[in-house]
Amino acid sequence: MKKIIVENLKYRYPLSENLALKGISFEVEGGEFIGIIGRNLAGKSTLCQALVGLVPHFYKGAYSGNVEISGMNVLENNISELSKKIGIVFQNPFTQITAAKLTVYEEIAFGLENMGIEIKETIRRIEYVLHLLDLEKYKDRNPFELSGGQMQRLAIASIIAMKPEIIVLDEPTSQLDPQGSEEVFKAIQSLSREGITIMMVEQKIEKIAQYADRVMLMSDGEVVDFDVPQKIFLRDDLLNYGVQAPVFTRVCRSLNIKNKNTGLYPVTLDEAYELMVRHEQNRS
Amino acid sequence: MNRIEVKNLRFSYRRGEEILKGMDLTFDSESTAIIGQNGAGKTTFVKLLKGLLKPTEGDIFIKGKNTTEVTVAKLAKEIGMVFQNPNDQIFKSKVIDEVMFGPLNIGQGMEEAKGNSLKALELMELSDKVDENPYDLSLSERKLITIASILAMDTDIVIFDEPTISQDYFGKIRIKNIVKELAARGKLVITIAHDMDFVAEISERVIVLNKGEVILDGSAEEVFLRDDILKSAYLEQPNITQLCKRLGYDRTFLALKEFLDYRLAEN
Amino acid sequence: MAKTLSLYVERNTFIHRVDSINKILYVLVSVAIPLILPYKFVAVLLILISISFLLLAKVMRRVIPLIEFSVIILLSIVIIQGLFHAGNKTVAFHIARITFYKEGLSYAFTLSMRVINILLAFAILVLTTKPSELIEALVKKGLSPRFGYVLSSALQIIPQMMSAVGSIMDAQRSRGLETEGNLAVRIRAFFPLIGPVVMGSLIETRERAMALEVRAFNSREKKTFLNERQNLRSDNVIRLILFSILSLSIVLRVLL
Repeated sequence: MKKIIVENLKYRYPLSENLALKGISFEVEGGEFIGIIGRNLAGKSTLCQALVGLVPHFYKGAYSGNVEISGMNVLENNISELSKKIGIVFQNPFTQITAAKLTVYEEIAFGLENMGIEIKETIRRIEYVLHLLDLEKYKDRNPFELSGGQMQRLAIASIIAMKPEIIVLDEPTSQLDPQGSEEVFKAIQSLSREGITIMMVEQKIEKIAQYADRVMLMSDGEVVDFDVPQKIFLRDDLLNYGVQAPVFTRVCRSLNIKNKNTGLYPVTLDEAYELMVRHEQNRS
Repeated sequence: MNRIEVKNLRFSYRRGEEILKGMDLTFDSESTAIIGQNGAGKTTFVKLLKGLLKPTEGDIFIKGKNTTEVTVAKLAKEIGMVFQNPNDQIFKSKVIDEVMFGPLNIGQGMEEAKGNSLKALELMELSDKVDENPYDLSLSERKLITIASILAMDTDIVIFDEPTISQDYFGKIRIKNIVKELAARGKLVITIAHDMDFVAEISERVIVLNKGEVILDGSAEEVFLRDDILKSAYLEQPNITQLCKRLGYDRTFLALKEFLDYRLAEN
Repeated sequence: MAKTLSLYVERNTFIHRVDSINKILYVLVSVAIPLILPYKFVAVLLILISISFLLLAKVMRRVIPLIEFSVIILLSIVIIQGLFHAGNKTVAFHIARITFYKEGLSYAFTLSMRVINILLAFAILVLTTKPSELIEALVKKGLSPRFGYVLSSALQIIPQMMSAVGSIMDAQRSRGLETEGNLAVRIRAFFPLIGPVVMGSLIETRERAMALEVRAFNSREKKTFLNERQNLRSDNVIRLILFSILSLSIVLRVLL
């Protein structure tokens, strides 16, 4: 079943002269992990906002086209309704804390209280996400006392507790240190294993290569290409879009080491290592 | 000589909680990266260099001047620092005025300040944004503005705290070039960074901080060779270094080209 | 501990567990009774009751700074009334050549007792009730959830804003801004410091507004509350006692 259908989506922010999205169309299947790449101001964040309904319900402006999330039309449903199907995590962990709650446990409950979920179910879901995102130790802490990585995991937990089928992550680790980023990427992997459909914008290209089933390359409000990572990272014009292929792909490309079955260059450390070792063996 | 001398530096915000536990370091005109996980004391250390904090014990000399004996504003003539969050400093309604704020404060004349600011904005490829309101621009552009605002002060020592946050590939290239150029012009550059690929490319020297102590200090090759120590500080080698190590090479490769050249010579 | 604007003291006592609405009622009743029954001993009695509650709640030590602070106000009441009260006739004593009168001092005493009484009753409320619980209780009683959110988030966001001022000060001093010195220097430093505070909090407010939206803040469903407090029988008993005491004092007032 198609989880996301976007048809000819055009959007212009209020007071802006240029279209931020210039007629975007694509579809995503349930359970897919999609990486979104491209340079700053390419429209990646705007697309994220359009998927969860912040565009056009929070940011007004000129909007046309059709976005359907799990059969729900974004234009016809408000953000609260949509939040049952799709959630979003932003860059800055700090501003995703509501500041109205004093503990991690209560913070996670915030969205559920608003949705009117009954208490027993709320508690069950909180326990589940605390475990899933490895936050049990911190459940009684004040959210503002957490490290960046922990805070971002809390933001993810708070969204996942609302049981969305799709989660959008807009550069979730760009403001974290390596350890915090690693924690968050691990958490995202476990969401993917749970069958949640993931749309992740990320500059760390090696991570996209490692996790994504398909990669969407955006530029100037348009989708330039949408394909498996191996094919996206093969493009000769990639640098023009502000993206450099993973170093593993570039090594193997320089040495012309391909995967025999697919005829494509590897994109991850593990795959590159295996192919290079096999290559050496064949030579000697 | 652009020299920083750090002697037996100890620092704590509160009694009994030592953040920096005795550091002896000398910096000369070169590009140095300081790496370490959050809470290792990196930002505290550069704030001490900048005079924003005073040592609990020990001394810091910036070009011979003890930081405890001059005000931060005076020290600003010698040492510039780009902070992590651009929103902590931007307050003017025009990009050019924001960039000129620092130069004017440290005694540059109007013409000189304007010239330096325009040049710095050009380096950051922001020449077409000179008259815009910084808050109409994106966060990544605001970050580049703050870098320009420090470059325009033309200090002999420049510190960058996480310059690549929220930058894309082009932004990173610009910052990389700036750091290399400053070092080439004989400035003393210190960069705090999390992106190891970036560190490997810009630094002649790498210092690893862990829990308030220097656990490694050497050339990028030397430091990134010690993946055992790096792991203990929750740090990783650059991607290319990891691949080569797994392939069994006994030397550290920090750049793709370096590795390809080596292989070519090998065959 | 992350800072919040709150005087709440965490203890595990009966007083802490009393329903926050009842604590508000207690404040109202103990403010009202001395006005209904304007006898000195009534106010003194109420003070003693409040003190015993504070002792039971193990927070008496936190009250002392509050009392110390109010001593200045109380002293000024005593002096002004003792010297200038309209009904002053009987001389009480002299200090140097200044005369204090009995009527004024007596009035000042009544007034002081009332002030201390109000102070202590409020102290029970703020020292033993989590602000979040209090606000949530009010939201349940019909206060707008949006207004409730503004109140409870302000308690945490304001201290966070204050700590942002520190980093802004660092950033501007690093660019050669003098922040210490004479008045002119300080005035010049005002905009570089306040500008980023204002812009920063506007940006954060917008980001936080988006984060709230996607957590169904504007949902039309009937809200639930995680900390659904079991309505204890003791709550109703306490409420009944408070209303009885209030009614009794009104009856007494009419009869006497």
